[in-house]
Amino acid sequence: MSKIIIRDVAKRYANGFEALKGVSAEIPAGSFTVILGPSGAGKSTLLRTINGLETPTSGSVQIGEHPVTHASLREVRSQVGMVFQHFNLVDRLSVMTNVLTGRLSHRSWLGSLLYLFQRCDMDIAHDALIRVGLTDKAWNRADKLSGGQQQRVGIARALAQQPRVILADEPVASLDPVTSEEIMGLLREICTRDGITIVVNLHQVEWAKRFADRVIGLNAGVVVYDGAASSLDRATLSRIYNRNGDQVDEQLETMLAYA
Amino acid sequence: MSSSRLCWPTPNGLPAPGPSAILAACVLLLVISASSVELDLVRLFNAIPRMLEFGGHLLVMPDWEYLPTLGVNMLQTIEMTFLATSIALIISLPLGVLAAANASPHPMVFHVTRNLLTLMRALPELVWALVFVSAVGLGPLPGIMALSFVTVGFMGKFFAESIEVIDLRQVEGVAAHGAGWLQLRTFAFFPQAFPDFVGTVMYILDHNLRAAAILGLVGAGGIGYDLVMAMRMFDYDRLLPIALSIYVVVTALDRLSDRFRRRLI
Repeated sequence: MSKIIIRDVAKRYANGFEALKGVSAEIPAGSFTVILGPSGAGKSTLLRTINGLETPTSGSVQIGEHPVTHASLREVRSQVGMVFQHFNLVDRLSVMTNVLTGRLSHRSWLGSLLYLFQRCDMDIAHDALIRVGLTDKAWNRADKLSGGQQQRVGIARALAQQPRVILADEPVASLDPVTSEEIMGLLREICTRDGITIVVNLHQVEWAKRFADRVIGLNAGVVVYDGAASSLDRATLSRIYNRNGDQVDEQLETMLAYA
Repeated sequence: MSSSRLCWPTPNGLPAPGPSAILAACVLLLVISASSVELDLVRLFNAIPRMLEFGGHLLVMPDWEYLPTLGVNMLQTIEMTFLATSIALIISLPLGVLAAANASPHPMVFHVTRNLLTLMRALPELVWALVFVSAVGLGPLPGIMALSFVTVGFMGKFFAESIEVIDLRQVEGVAAHGAGWLQLRTFAFFPQAFPDFVGTVMYILDHNLRAAAILGLVGAGGIGYDLVMAMRMFDYDRLLPIALSIYVVVTALDRLSDRFRRRLI
């Protein structure tokens, strides 16, 4: 629903590590984009600059009409949902309350002090739980659920805020293959049905090809590929997964063979 | 050299120099300080007959007529404990947030709150009770004030420490969806620190009950006044019931808190 414009974003951490070296990309509204790249390529950093969890050292990000700045953070985040690798649910709260935290940007601080929500928030949260198929677990404690179920709660929380964009940082990296496929399918369905712009960080080339409209290949903080998922070929993949210009190693060959 | 020779898990198998030096220093300090506080084994040994004599005095028929008064004063002590702890709890929750490095709005606020809490618990309840007795007069009120005051100092610090060890990923999960400053504290910080909070409150209730039992010493209400008077007037027939009743109440509270905590965590 909102397009994302990333302009020359660079990020250098306090320890001197340069995670992003001037990344530019334009992600069209309602598209499903996968960011591919080896560990340490800057995928997470890039994704986290989109909703301001990281502040870029230089460059800017814009979501729809809103530039992401310190002042607009809450406004931006109220429209951007996020799904995490480790789910990042509040363990001791019920599944329902976790999903309701997606509504907090619409509620006042005074009511929240007493954990008060509106009836319509409950309905929205309930609908979100129906979407991910977890209504029967609504009043269980979040940490009593399996990994796959917790990730569904994470997605329901993102849905509950009725976002324009959902960012997913390695959403399936801690899940088994079958569950991973369900989660990816769910995200794809949300993108197609609700027209929400979805950006996913992934390790698996195979899933990028299957689910994404578009792939951004990142290596050592630089965009090395930006194009349709269908036109990912072996040459491109070896460019994305190339390490320090070394020869393509055996492991990569094996991985690409399966891709 | 046999392979079963005992050794420490250090590169050369000898005790680590750092910890050994600290241990040696502690032992040395203890030996030095023992003489300065007149910890004298001979004197201790000579005092045994007198201790037995005192113990013998305790074993007398209790003063039955005093028991209703004991009940009333004990009840007052318990009321003081719960009231002071509740008041302190309400004040400590926000102060704990301000005094936690990861939840405080500004480093300046963090340092000021930390120092304030240290100041509040720097002096024992009895000293604060003396201050408040001279300010508002005798009775349970200055006792409750003194107890609340010191409790805020401890509780605020304990709360802050429980908040500081929480998992920041869970906070990020809520923050990423646009929650505000206070919402983050109620929905992400608080639930995680909650079990620790309960533990702290239970420990402090226990502590406060014992503290409330001696506040009467300076005229700040509770069973303490009777205790001191019985001691001074050699009313041994009151001393044992008072001591016993304190023991019973502390034990009951301990059992209760154990059960309560197990249900919550």
